[in-house]
Amino acid sequence: MRRKAVSVLLAGAMTLGLAAAGLTGCGSTGGGKESIRLMVWSPQNDQSKDNGEWLQTMCETFADEHPEWDITFVYGIADEAGAAGTVSQDAEASADVFMYANDTLTTMTDANALAKFGGKYREQIESMNSEAVLDSLIMDGELYGVPFTTNTWFMYYDKSVYTEEDVKSLDTMLEKGVVSFPFVNSWYLPAFYIGNGCTLFGDGTDESAGVDFGGQKAADVTNYLIDLESNPNFRIDDLGSGIAGLRDGSINAMFSGSWDANSVREALGDNMGVAALPTFTLNGEEKQMMSYAGSKAIGVNPNTENMVAAVELAVFLGSPDAQRAHYEMCGTIPSCTELMEDPKIGSDPVVMAQNETFLHTSILQPFVSKMNNCWVPVENMGKGIRNGSITHDNAVDQTEQMNKAMNSDGI
Amino acid sequence: MAGNKIHSAKKRRFINNTIVHVILGILAVIWVFPIIWVILTSFRAEKGSYVSTFFPQSFTLDNYAKLFTDTSILNFPQMFMNTLFIAICSCILSTFYVLAVSYCLSRLRFKMRKPYMNMAMILGLFPGFMSMIAVYFILKALGMTEGNLIKLALILVYSGGAALTFQIAKGFFDTIPAAVDEAAILDGCTRWQIFTKITLPLSKPIVIYTVLTSFMSPWLDFIFAKVICRANADQYTIAIGLWRMLEKEYIDSWYTSFAAGAVLISIPIAALFLYMQRYYVDGLSGAVKG
Repeated sequence: MRRKAVSVLLAGAMTLGLAAAGLTGCGSTGGGKESIRLMVWSPQNDQSKDNGEWLQTMCETFADEHPEWDITFVYGIADEAGAAGTVSQDAEASADVFMYANDTLTTMTDANALAKFGGKYREQIESMNSEAVLDSLIMDGELYGVPFTTNTWFMYYDKSVYTEEDVKSLDTMLEKGVVSFPFVNSWYLPAFYIGNGCTLFGDGTDESAGVDFGGQKAADVTNYLIDLESNPNFRIDDLGSGIAGLRDGSINAMFSGSWDANSVREALGDNMGVAALPTFTLNGEEKQMMSYAGSKAIGVNPNTENMVAAVELAVFLGSPDAQRAHYEMCGTIPSCTELMEDPKIGSDPVVMAQNETFLHTSILQPFVSKMNNCWVPVENMGKGIRNGSITHDNAVDQTEQMNKAMNSDGI
Repeated sequence: MAGNKIHSAKKRRFINNTIVHVILGILAVIWVFPIIWVILTSFRAEKGSYVSTFFPQSFTLDNYAKLFTDTSILNFPQMFMNTLFIAICSCILSTFYVLAVSYCLSRLRFKMRKPYMNMAMILGLFPGFMSMIAVYFILKALGMTEGNLIKLALILVYSGGAALTFQIAKGFFDTIPAAVDEAAILDGCTRWQIFTKITLPLSKPIVIYTVLTSFMSPWLDFIFAKVICRANADQYTIAIGLWRMLEKEYIDSWYTSFAAGAVLISIPIAALFLYMQRYYVDGLSGAVKG
C-alpha cells in the first residue's frame, strides 16, 4: 500500500512538470528521507581521478542540495556516442541519467529510452541555452535532454604560417602553407557540398524532403574537390596523419574537434591558432564551408523508478555551475549562453572557435533515421577521388550516383 | 657422362632449394611484418597514431609504464586480471566439457549419440553471436548482469557452448585402439578410470590443443564481453579496454600504449603455448606396445 501511495504522490508531483509515461514510485521512507538509488552513466573522462571526478563531485553536491532524498549513486561508463546503443539494448536495466550525442536521438526514442522534459524543467532548460542548441534536442516539438556541450569540428592552424586574415579563405591558406582535411571521412566532406547549397532533409527535420546532393551545384563541388585533392599543398588527413603532420611541421592547418585541442597545443605551443571554418572559391564565387553540428545532452530514462530525482539531477548536471566545473575539470566546452560571457571561458580560443562554428559555419546535423543512409556514399565519394576513379570526366555521373545512394534505403 | 648427370641433378636441386627458400623467406617477412610493427610501435617514443617512418625515431618504455600507472581513465591492470580470471576459469571448464563429451561420443554407444552429433553439427553452423541478445536477457533474468556476477556470467557464456566443439578431440580418441580400453576393463577399470588413466595420457597433443583453444577464445573475445559488461567499467575485459583506447578522444594519447597492451596480452598465450609445446609429441609413441 505504501508503495502505491508513494507512486500516487510522485505521479502527482510529476504532472507539474513531466509528461513521461510508465512511472512507478519506489523506495522506502525512513526518518522523513526517501532513500533512492540513481544509476548515472557518463564517459570515463568525467569520472577519472585526474579530472577530479567531476561526475561524482557534482552528484554529491546534488545530494547535499536535496536533503529530502537519501541518494545512493551507482556510476557506470558509457560515452555519449555509444550510450544510445547500450541504453536501447535494454532500457529497463540502463542508467536513470545518462549522456548522449544528439544524433542518436531517434535510436533512443524508437526504443522508448528517452524521457521528455516539460513544464518548469523545460522552461529552466530553455532559459539556460541558445535556441540553436535546443533545436538539436527537439523532435516533434518535444525536448529530450539537457544540453551540456556542442559537438562539431573546426580548424586548427599554425599562427607562424597564417595570419588571422589568411584563415578566412581556404584558397589563401593553400597558397601559403599545407592544409590537411579529413577527405575520406563523411562527417567532414559534406562541408563543401552544403556550402554550395546542397541540403539534407529540407531544414534537417523533414524526412520526406530527402537529400539534395545532386544537380549542377553538387557536380561543381565534386569537380572542385578533384582539383583540391590534386593540389600539391593539400594533404588528406586519414588515420591521424593530420596531427602527426602538425607535430613535425609538414602540415600547417587541420580540421578536427575539441578532443584534439590538447594534442594540438602540445604540438604547436604558442603558435596554436583556432578558427571557425574558412570559405572556398568555387567558379569565382566565395562559398562558406559548413560543418555538421550537434550537441551532447543529459538524458533521462523513462523507465526510471525515481523520475523526479532523475530529472532534477539531469537539469542540475546541465546547469551553468555544473558546466563551469565541467569545463574547468575536464575541458568540456560549455554550451550555456551565460558562460559564454564569462571572461575566463570567453577568452579560450577553442571555446570561441567551437561556438563560432556552431553558430555561424555549421548546419544542424539531421537526426532523422534516414540520415543513416548518408554516410557511406559520401565516404565513397572521397575515397573515389583519392584513388583516382572519380575524375572530371565522370564527376557529374558519380555525383548523381552519390545522391541516389543517399536517398535510397539500400546499402 | 654419369658424373655430369649427378652434377646437374645437384645443381638443379640447389637452384630449386634456393628458389623455395627465397619464396619462404619473403613470405616469412610478410607474415612477421605486422607483429614487428606492433612491437616497434609499443616502444615508440613519438606520440600519436600516425608516423611517417617505419622505425621509431626514439625508443621508450613509458608506453608500458603508462598502462600500469595511468589507471584513472583506462584501468589496464584491472582489465588484465579480469580477463585472466575469466579465461582461466572458462579454460578449465570448457576443456573438461570438450574432453568428456568427446570421450563419451567416441567410446560409449547410446541411443542419442547419432542425433546428438547431428544436432551439434547443425548448431555449430550458426555463429555464436547470433544468440547474443537472447543470452544477455537470460543472464539478466538470472540477475547476473551487475557487479562481480558479470565475471561468472562471462565464464558461463564462454564455457557453456564448449560441448559442441567435440569433433577434433573425438576424432583423435577414435584413433586409440578399442583393445586398450577392453584390456583395462578386463583388469577392472571403470569408465572414469579408463578416461583419466588411459585415454587422457595417450591424448596429450589433443588435450593441449583443447586447453589452448579454450583459453584463447575468452581471452580474445570482444563481442560477448561488450554486450554483457555494458557500462560496468570495473568488469571490462582487455578486448574492450583496447578498443576504447582507439576511440577518437583517446587515440592520440593512447595509441602507443594500445600497441604495448597488444604485446602484453600475447604474453600469456605465448607462455602457455611454450610451456605446453613439449607435450606436442606424438601421444601414442612408447605408450602402446604391440
